Amino acid sequence: MMEEKKMSKRVDRRTILGGLAAGAAVSGFPAPWVKGLRAQEADEIIIANASPLTGVFAFAGIEGSEGGQHFVQWLNERGGIANRKVRLITEDTGYQVTQAVAVFNRIVSQYKVALFLGDSTGFQKTINEELNRRGILLAGASFSSEINDPQKYPLQYMPGPDYSQQVAMLLKHIVATKNGARIAFVHSDTEFGRDPIAKSETLAKSLGLEQVEKIITPPGSFDVSPEVLKLRRAKPDFTIFHGYVMAPIPEFMRQMREARIETQFMGTFYSSDLGILQKMGEVADGYLGVNAYNYVGQDGVTGEAMDYIKKINAGRYRTNSYLQPWTNMALGTEAMRRCLEAGRELTGPNIKAALNTIKDYDTGGVIGTPVSVPGNSTNVGRIYRANLKAGRMEPVSDWIKADA
Amino acid sequence: MIIGSAKESYAADEAIFTTNVQQIWLSLFAALCIAFPLFASDYWLLLACLIAINIVAAVGLMVLTGFTGQVSLGHAAFMGVGAYATAWLAKHGGMPFWLTIPFGGFAAAAIGVVFGIPSLRVKGLYLALTTIAASFILHFVFFNWTNVTGGARGMTVEPAIFFGTQLVTSGSLYWIAVPLAAFATWCATNLFRTRIGRAFIAIRDRDISAEVLGIELFRYKLMSFALASFYAGVAGGVWVYLFRVVTPESFRLIDSIFLLAAIIVGGLGSIRGAIFGAAFMTLVPELLKLGVATLEPHWPSVVQILSPVRTIIFGTLIVGFLMFEPLGLNEIWRRVRRRFALWPFRT
Repeated sequence: MMEEKKMSKRVDRRTILGGLAAGAAVSGFPAPWVKGLRAQEADEIIIANASPLTGVFAFAGIEGSEGGQHFVQWLNERGGIANRKVRLITEDTGYQVTQAVAVFNRIVSQYKVALFLGDSTGFQKTINEELNRRGILLAGASFSSEINDPQKYPLQYMPGPDYSQQVAMLLKHIVATKNGARIAFVHSDTEFGRDPIAKSETLAKSLGLEQVEKIITPPGSFDVSPEVLKLRRAKPDFTIFHGYVMAPIPEFMRQMREARIETQFMGTFYSSDLGILQKMGEVADGYLGVNAYNYVGQDGVTGEAMDYIKKINAGRYRTNSYLQPWTNMALGTEAMRRCLEAGRELTGPNIKAALNTIKDYDTGGVIGTPVSVPGNSTNVGRIYRANLKAGRMEPVSDWIKADA
Repeated sequence: MIIGSAKESYAADEAIFTTNVQQIWLSLFAALCIAFPLFASDYWLLLACLIAINIVAAVGLMVLTGFTGQVSLGHAAFMGVGAYATAWLAKHGGMPFWLTIPFGGFAAAAIGVVFGIPSLRVKGLYLALTTIAASFILHFVFFNWTNVTGGARGMTVEPAIFFGTQLVTSGSLYWIAVPLAAFATWCATNLFRTRIGRAFIAIRDRDISAEVLGIELFRYKLMSFALASFYAGVAGGVWVYLFRVVTPESFRLIDSIFLLAAIIVGGLGSIRGAIFGAAFMTLVPELLKLGVATLEPHWPSVVQILSPVRTIIFGTLIVGFLMFEPLGLNEIWRRVRRRFALWPFRT
């Protein structure tokens, strides 16, 4: 009898499975089942952020979502936009286009979204027609050259120069340093990696630079010995990396240094973060990178926004990914303010039109020069040198305005 | 109470429905599917379309892996072939969606047959490896055959047009994706009432014995690959009309693993398992996400903090199913049905 009682109380596998299934179902119970917007405060302005909080780009997504939250906090402490509070809704995309599209659909079917922050080139291209149809403005983490086109992507913008413009800045810096220099491109075999290459090759030629090698590798690859051998033969004065965040850049640099190849390593936005370069180790010392912003904690950089960022993070290092949504939202909310002051509704086309009126805007120390948004990007960047011994990035150029 | 299901003829034994109750439930489900767009939001309609697409792909994979025993890790790549072929035909051939989608399926079937040839020599893990190779080779082709695929930038597609109406929303594409999934499922279910389907099962159970019984392995294995790839290609075709852009990153190895996981979780060797698996793998991550999102108004950083936990829960659910119910969701369904069939005499 006792045994029977014991048995009946035991949690068996069916109970576990039932519990798991019920838990999964209940977690979605308050879901936005039906058509129509969810209740939101009448004057509340909604910004949605579809960010990769899991997956390969989680490091950037988590930084970015924190940057976005801090921006909203900062803005609301200052009265929001024309005394209307801003609310940020963040969702995870796992860096997958299908998930990002689902997040977009879920949020815009629940709320009246004034600005949507996207996470990738793939998502931004996929959702473009839907943005145009619904009249929603999107600011992305992508610096894709293709998206920097107001004709094809009228309701999108990016918080910095596109990849082709970033490489163009590096090429012009090379010309200023050494006329007729020998250059090599090393890029990943991805859409991101290939983005600026064709345009940059043409530009390099027109600037009188000699392209001696072009290496294409999978992203994140480690065995680069055959490629280094090619570079050893080619002897480039400058080696430009693009389409990577980390690997295989450190391996290239280590092997090339060991082979005593005298070349200056350079790279674009995503491989120019101080934290990333520090992880690459001492081989990254002297690396030149393009950034669209000041570095958090950079000497002499001050301003209302940057001081707040330093204060709220209390000495914690913040990456470039933290400043991306901050800049996107700073520009977007400024455009919304202009819209509201002009008595216009907060629709995508209205906000974008107001965004394009932004001229010489002070970002409060986030970008070290006044910025304008004539098309789909801020178009300014700066080249920095990694001084890893001192633990900082030092500017080697002034702020450069990219050619359209 | 149903106490048994006596079958007095081969026709009765082959019947899809054994009781009227099954037909009533299916009719109710069909009615729910028809009514769904009337009250569901865009988000749920998008999920319904994704589930329908994944069902078509998973049913295809079930035919190949669950019924013929040929493991494939290249199924998403075949979806990619279908998606690219559909996009190309729509863009350059000016064909309507009701032609581009089946042609996308045929293109995928043709490629699937080529990559199915190694199945005549290898099986199991070795075959899985060759299909992984298919995935990489096709990814390379998508990337580098720029004239056709658009290279890294991919291809964009104009919306499907149905009687002069552009199908731009998930709600409108729902009427393509869901009936197509129903039709694909119906075809696959009927397939296993034919000689071809039974030949597939015989090959899965013991290929040598099947050959001894007169089943031509070469023909039937390739036929299974062609059918599975056709399903994948059709799924890819609908997918491209839903997202209206396809790039080499759209169909990756991880998506093939997703589909394989779907049919395992659903229950290998059953069409219903493919349906359950596709629905489970598509819905559960979203439901978990919704659960986390409901806490956001009270805890603003909850999404950042709990997102990794959410993926762990999803992973644990899959492992849980594999450990505690290796026969998958389909077996749970059957058990539930049995319980109700015998109610109230069995507790």
